[in-house]
Amino acid sequence: MLLLAPKIQVLPDIEFPKFLAINLCHACRQTNVGNEDAFTVGLPPAWVDYSDEIAANIQQARIKMSELVKAHARSLMPSFGDGNEEQHTIEALTREITELLRRSEKRLQKFPANGSSEDSNVRKNVQRSLATDLQNLSMDLRRKQSTYLKSLRQQNEGNDGADLEMNLNGSRSQLEDDEFGDLGFNEQQLSRLRNSEQFTVEREREIKQVVQSFNELAQIMKDLSVLVIDQGTIVDRIDYNIQNVATAVEEGFKQLQKAEKTQKEGGMVRCATILVIMCFVMLVLLVLKEILL
Amino acid sequence: MVLVSAARDYINRMLQDISGMKVLILDSYTISIVSVVYSQSELLQKEVFLVELVESISMSRESMSHLKAVCFLRPISENIQHLRRQLASPRFGEYHLFFSNILKDTQIHILADSDEQEIVQQLQEFYADFVAVDPYHFTLNIQSNHTYMLPAVVDPSNWQHLCDRVVDGIAAVFLALKRRPIIRYQSKSDIAKRVAHETAKLMYQQESGLFDFRRTEVSPLLLVIDRRDDPVTPLLNQWTYQAMVHELIGIQDNKVDLRNMGKFSKDQQEVVLSSEQDSFFKSNMYENFGDIGMNIKHLVDEFQQISKSNQNIQTIEDMAKFVDNYPEYRQMHGNVSKHVTLVTEMSKIVEERKLMLVSQTEQELACNGGEVTAFEAVKNLLDNENLSEIDRLRLVMLYALRYEKEKPVNLMNLCNKLASQSAKYKPGLVQFLLKQAGVDKRSGDLFGNRDLLNIARNMARGLKGVENVYTQHQPFLFQTMENIVKGRLKDTEYPYVGNHFQQGRPQDVVIFIVGGTTYEESRSVALQNASNSGTRFILGGSVVLNSKRFLKDLEEAQRITRSSPSVI
Repeated sequence: MLLLAPKIQVLPDIEFPKFLAINLCHACRQTNVGNEDAFTVGLPPAWVDYSDEIAANIQQARIKMSELVKAHARSLMPSFGDGNEEQHTIEALTREITELLRRSEKRLQKFPANGSSEDSNVRKNVQRSLATDLQNLSMDLRRKQSTYLKSLRQQNEGNDGADLEMNLNGSRSQLEDDEFGDLGFNEQQLSRLRNSEQFTVEREREIKQVVQSFNELAQIMKDLSVLVIDQGTIVDRIDYNIQNVATAVEEGFKQLQKAEKTQKEGGMVRCATILVIMCFVMLVLLVLKEILL
Repeated sequence: MVLVSAARDYINRMLQDISGMKVLILDSYTISIVSVVYSQSELLQKEVFLVELVESISMSRESMSHLKAVCFLRPISENIQHLRRQLASPRFGEYHLFFSNILKDTQIHILADSDEQEIVQQLQEFYADFVAVDPYHFTLNIQSNHTYMLPAVVDPSNWQHLCDRVVDGIAAVFLALKRRPIIRYQSKSDIAKRVAHETAKLMYQQESGLFDFRRTEVSPLLLVIDRRDDPVTPLLNQWTYQAMVHELIGIQDNKVDLRNMGKFSKDQQEVVLSSEQDSFFKSNMYENFGDIGMNIKHLVDEFQQISKSNQNIQTIEDMAKFVDNYPEYRQMHGNVSKHVTLVTEMSKIVEERKLMLVSQTEQELACNGGEVTAFEAVKNLLDNENLSEIDRLRLVMLYALRYEKEKPVNLMNLCNKLASQSAKYKPGLVQFLLKQAGVDKRSGDLFGNRDLLNIARNMARGLKGVENVYTQHQPFLFQTMENIVKGRLKDTEYPYVGNHFQQGRPQDVVIFIVGGTTYEESRSVALQNASNSGTRFILGGSVVLNSKRFLKDLEEAQRITRSSPSVI
């Protein structure tokens, strides 16, 4: 009889007991069928879901980054309108990406620390690889933002410079024309001034927001740099890592053995038991004394 | 580049088509092979999240069937047994088996029989059976290397084992390069002859189908020589960076272990010296000690400038630039500390052991100088109490190799003096060396004093004076390479195997030294390759020697010879 165990989808909340999985495996083997479906019953541990989630976040962040680049380019082009829409899109995208990265990073830090030694090795390595990806993404985002910022600043100065020039020329021509005239600004110049002021205020706001997301990203990068492997050092060598695992496991085993021994021979336990027994005996004697007297 | 890229290529092919989370299973040989060409971060990029040794995978009962196992092992019987046990009660979901050399049919049958659950998805041979320490230098890390000094009758099984391992290693190199060579060997060495003949048998008869590659006009050349033809090079003290580190501290698989040398901070206890990953090392590995000091000083100055500018963070832009450059800054910091630590340690050792003094005499013994001055110098140095035992032993050995025939009485004096001074000296070691590698046993003209042309050349060099008295020695390999390039390698000294013959000059040459290579020789090969003479050399050996290892092999061989009844 064929025992076909379907590929079970692991839901994050359900904890499929491990022994059940192993029993299923045994059952499959006994039916003597070399069916490969029967052996994918072994479920991956729960943290694999976290790592899948983070990987999906990274993918999404990448897609949004390419959209952000397009939005940057569009906003830098000269346009007739105010360009407010573009600003909103850029702000929204930047915020979303930073949020994704921050969430992934928090998730990464929160990886569970229990599990068997081998499982923890796999988990640590997965953590490292995701940390490297996240760090690369953050650096990429910051670089794109800094180029955008630079081009913004250039544009800003350009605009201010042009306006000031116009104003200067305007006032000069005014003086030349009007001998007794008003030495202040006339209507036209006032409105131009107001416009450029508004423009400057807007740009300043944008710059402030970009700088703020910069700082957040810098923080993320600093946190991540602890998890990432330095290339070219001894930590990046495969044989060094295997050696370390072996020694760590051995050390842990020795410690466990020592702890077990000291606990077993604990004179404390014996003393405590004797005292408790004596307490009971005394209590019984006391009660007897009360009854007999 | 060619050896490193061949090995990397194989590993890439193993990992690329398998999707999902993987575990890489290696044995104690293949872990060296993989570690020198592939890094942990690259493995992580390929989704390999666990690396284990084949001997310990059966020890744990934990089942991880969401992982796919990629096994890269040498085709030896212990590994086959481990695999059999594992396949009987598998821990991982799928098994992809790769072997580093040619599998025997019986081994394939055993594996097929034990795969009852059909979890083995593929089985292939990827011929990366050598440790590619440098682009043109490979080693086989053979533990029982000393066996090459013993005649076959003393320990036939170990001797055969050594030959087999060497033949397998050489075969893997040529399979990786996809060529089949013409083979020549050193006539006076039995083991070289045996290795050459067995390699020829493997390549031309037993597995001729496997080795039947596209024939080019000029076949490559395999030259098998014996370490004992040039015993001087491993005994000398070295002054070029890579060779010096190996001689004074010790490099194993491109790693340097500083833990025995004193107290260091945690990340400087073991360091990596790889020309692929460290550009400063790549440009300085063949420079001599004085130049290295200057270059490191430049490096430290550069680094100090960068860190000073990093402390001056005023605007947001500065901050942004700092965070951008932080990973590179950190890497540079680690690199600078590593090189500074190494050079400091080596300077300390040079000071303690008075190596400048010793090395001057060593170089004179090896290159030129008359007998009388040499004897006086060695005697004086032996009287010097500050010298360590190994240095004294080396001086006497060099004197012995050079002047064994001219003044045997002097040599006897020196040996007696040595024996009286140090308790650890094993008596008869110098004589054992002469029996192994003395003038009668060597085929080449090691000291350039046999034929008139060489004598004249030496005199001319002596008159001209040398740039640096500490690096004047050229390993004998240099002359061999020159002869190959000019097509002047003598048939009597280096005969062909069977009816091979080579017209003209070869374009690719693999030189294998049975008994071990040295970093001085690999430097020679690298410089020769850089000079674009039309021939590309690759050097390989059973181990990478320094004087300590060479002397250890010698002592071990002497001990076995003494305790064995069957030696004449």
